[in-house]
Amino acid sequence: MSNGKLLIINGPGLSDLSDHNETANDDLSLAVIEQKCIETSREMGLEVDFRQNDDESELLRTLVDDVNNFDAFIINPAGLSKSSFIDYDAFSAAINKITNLSKPVIEVRIENIFIQEGSRPLRGSESGVGFVSGLGKYGYVLAINSINKKLSNN
Amino acid sequence: MNIYVINGPNINLLGTREPEIYGKETLEGISNECQEKASKVGHSVKFMQSNHEGEIVEWIQDAIINKVDAIVINAAAYTHTSIAIHDALKSFSGYKVELHISNPHLRESFRHVSFISPAVDSVVAGLGPDGYIQVIDLLSELPIKVN
Repeated sequence: MSNGKLLIINGPGLSDLSDHNETANDDLSLAVIEQKCIETSREMGLEVDFRQNDDESELLRTLVDDVNNFDAFIINPAGLSKSSFIDYDAFSAAINKITNLSKPVIEVRIENIFIQEGSRPLRGSESGVGFVSGLGKYGYVLAINSINKKLSNN
Repeated sequence: MNIYVINGPNINLLGTREPEIYGKETLEGISNECQEKASKVGHSVKFMQSNHEGEIVEWIQDAIINKVDAIVINAAAYTHTSIAIHDALKSFSGYKVELHISNPHLRESFRHVSFISPAVDSVVAGLGPDGYIQVIDLLSELPIKVN
């Protein structure tokens, strides 16, 4: 039996990670991240659906449509938070909907976004959104571990 | 791995200070859980808390002198004010994690700027007291240089 269903969605630009060259990110690709997420989730008995989309409206639709189909969410907004203000607000609203259902949501960023120019974390929700930035693929591992603990405590 | 876990002002009030934001767990409880996790994964953790900015700066300098492998810092309110802590962290060449129990980016706008974030390798926030345990656990998986 599954201990919970986890949706991991990745935003625009994450299909190509060839310019990420920091220590924690050696040989990093979306396939490597996906593999790591699947392994980590499987060890805990979590079902995981790992997605990436360069199309912001598709990404938003995924989140809105799947609110009721999953128990927990990991979101890497990637390029979304740099460019699009309208979708960014809509995104925050969708996330509020999830936190209102008391389902765990964690924003994961591959690099420390506070060293880069222009990136900003998701805002809008009052509480209930975790944030992990700068841990490369291990950020997803940390988020999955935390979600597993939250789901098993409920 | 030798790890300093450094906590800033008012964190000693955990458990009684705005429990709807910070939870009911006390700092002593978190410290005990950190030690438990650390001994399981083979880390040595020094867990500290101070309400004084200068003392926190001195602990970071101690970490430099003692060649500590990693610092996990929850600078609390000093996060948003302290250039001195930023500078001290810049001088520490080991691995650095900024940690917060709540997610400051979802709170008052005066908490949206962190002087700590640009001086560290990674930021973990909003995972509650469990964030400490998760970070200590993950440090053994990270490909970082250990003294």
